[in-house]
Amino acid sequence: MSWVQVLFVLLSLVAVASALLVVTTSNLVHAALWLVVTLGSIAGVFLLLAAEFVAWVQVLIYVGAVVVLLLFALMLTRAPTGRQDDLNVGRVVPAAIVAVLVGAVLVSTVVAGFHDVQLDLERAVVGSASVTGGTVFRLWVLPFEVLSVLLLAALVGAIVLSKLRADEPAEAGED
Amino acid sequence: MRFPGTGLAKGLAVTMRQMTRRSVTAHYPDALPDLPPRSRGVIALIEENCTSCMLCARECPSWCIYIDSHKDVVPATTEGGRDKSRNVLDRFAIDFSLCMYCSICIEVCPFDALHWSPEFEYAELDIRELTHEKDRLREWMWTVPAPSALDPHAEPAKELGAAEKAADKARAADLSAAEGAPAPPPPDNSAEEAP
Amino acid sequence: MSDLLEALLRVLVVLVAFLLLPLLVGQAEHKAMAHMQSRVGPMYAGMFHGWAQLVADGVKFVQKEDVVPRDADPAVFRIAPAVALLPYFVVMLVIPLGPGLVGQDLDVGLFFVLAVMGIGVIGTLMGGWSSANKFSLLGGIRVAAQLMAYELPFVLVGASVAMAAGTLSLTGIVEEWQPWWLLWQGIGLVVFFVAGLAELQRPPFDMPVADAEIVFGPYTEYGGLRFALFILAEYAGIVVLSALTAVLFLGGWRGPFEDSLGWLWTLVKTFLVAFVVIWVRVAYPRMREDQLQRLAWQGLVPLALLQLALTAVGVVATA
Ligand code: SF4
Ligand code: SF4
Repeated sequence: MSWVQVLFVLLSLVAVASALLVVTTSNLVHAALWLVVTLGSIAGVFLLLAAEFVAWVQVLIYVGAVVVLLLFALMLTRAPTGRQDDLNVGRVVPAAIVAVLVGAVLVSTVVAGFHDVQLDLERAVVGSASVTGGTVFRLWVLPFEVLSVLLLAALVGAIVLSKLRADEPAEAGED
Repeated sequence: MRFPGTGLAKGLAVTMRQMTRRSVTAHYPDALPDLPPRSRGVIALIEENCTSCMLCARECPSWCIYIDSHKDVVPATTEGGRDKSRNVLDRFAIDFSLCMYCSICIEVCPFDALHWSPEFEYAELDIRELTHEKDRLREWMWTVPAPSALDPHAEPAKELGAAEKAADKARAADLSAAEGAPAPPPPDNSAEEAP
Repeated sequence: MSDLLEALLRVLVVLVAFLLLPLLVGQAEHKAMAHMQSRVGPMYAGMFHGWAQLVADGVKFVQKEDVVPRDADPAVFRIAPAVALLPYFVVMLVIPLGPGLVGQDLDVGLFFVLAVMGIGVIGTLMGGWSSANKFSLLGGIRVAAQLMAYELPFVLVGASVAMAAGTLSLTGIVEEWQPWWLLWQGIGLVVFFVAGLAELQRPPFDMPVADAEIVFGPYTEYGGLRFALFILAEYAGIVVLSALTAVLFLGGWRGPFEDSLGWLWTLVKTFLVAFVVIWVRVAYPRMREDQLQRLAWQGLVPLALLQLALTAVGVVATA
């Protein structure tokens, strides 16, 4: 195994282990912090796969913005230090089953899609900004647009949810 | 017309101008401060003036003046005269950890035994050492500056006027005694001044 | 092997710069701020105008006890300062001082820098949360709110420069830079600087550490060496922001005699910007939280978008 492969395996192990810790740790903020580790090691994996641009976008968006947003929300609502024993709910088992199933679907998709294709790092195109841009906006422009529809749906959903909240006290007042 | 941001620019300009000017910092340990003569630095005591009357100790709002004294008998100087008794100061101490520099003791002393000195470097490492005894208080007396000159056209101090009148009176009495004729007594102002 | 040695050497040089430049900025702040307030600042340490004051401070910090509050989350509390400090070091590795004078030139340098700078905030958040102190928590929340508001204009104007230069590489951007960009990218320069100040929580954007109301925000419970690390992170942040502003908007090493004195130009520009950071601190009062948010969302974001549009028009027109 070359050192790239060793690093890859190590990073993947870190990613998987910290991902497990995200869902099992008994402190919400710790979960968010473990998420930083997971996302960071995934960025490392991207780097090893010569997808430089994607790796830094991963850091910028996920570590820099999403986790900060998460931590912000946690701190605003409830984030005591120490163990929180009321985090586990009765749905643990079904949730685990769903997670395993989703994982299985993803793994089988990847395996079915790529079989044992090996990325030749010597001749691989480094995923610089221009290469990534070209790929996304030429080759994969349809999935990209579909994904933006997903984002739109999320936006609309957020607005609807906050609207629901805002209307509630007004309705209660009318009763 | 006012451009947006003039206020911001002004703020920057003020600070920049300030930076080019000399600072006003007093470089204290390197250069001693120039204190006005009436600064309340420390209280000095002329032991010779003090009669142990205890007025200052009683009026002090912080109760930080400690006075011990005893009576001494002065034998009569004339034959058949009475012996006089005199107060002797044993201890006079001011606890400067309690003193609040209100100056009441100095105002109240009828014999001008207490004075303000601008001396201020008497910090100690232990709070108990801030109680200074009379020898130290006496030493500070040397640092008391002369009273500052009166403003032009200011009314002279009452004590000064009274003393001058008394001297005039005495001189007039001497003169008339020499001439052998009784001179009309000058009007007595001290009665008006009395409360 | 020599490659490895050279890389090590570069990292070492950057490390020295990383430890030295923040001290220089700190000392400059001591003195400039003092004189702007008609004071003289430190005068004794090191015999000559207090030049060794920060060294003395460092010695003092090292001697202090390492206190972890009882209710704190010890692990998170302990690593928070390192998380806050390290990103700035990593960023310094890729900022070019002159052509070839760079720790490691990256093809997507600008993106890298923006991404890594965002991580430092997580250290502050960790500190704020793990202290188990309501002032720290409040400070942490303010840090997060501030970051989310100002990161957007920050990245947008960064993208504007990249668009103008047609590259994400920091070296490439400096090479493309022309003096008239000062006008073209002028809005971007201001937005970048202001948003950067806000991300560093420097006055007048120091609401998260507003010492008169929440003690010292996320750093309230810290003392000794860990506190020193947080402060060092702040000053390293000033250096990084100033250097980035110089490289992105002021043309880095471009200037007269750039072939021989290029690195000096970068340093001079960096310190000029750092001086403005200090100057602004003295000149303006702290902004209130709602003013902060309004400035970001109603001021800087539209300006950044305007700059982006300007850049796009410019690029298309000159292409
Ligand atoms: S200055 Fe005031 S407080 Fe001090 S000793 Fe005199 S009377 Fe007491
Ligand atoms: S009031 Fe004056 S004379 Fe009387 S005890 Fe005090 S210092 Fe002495």
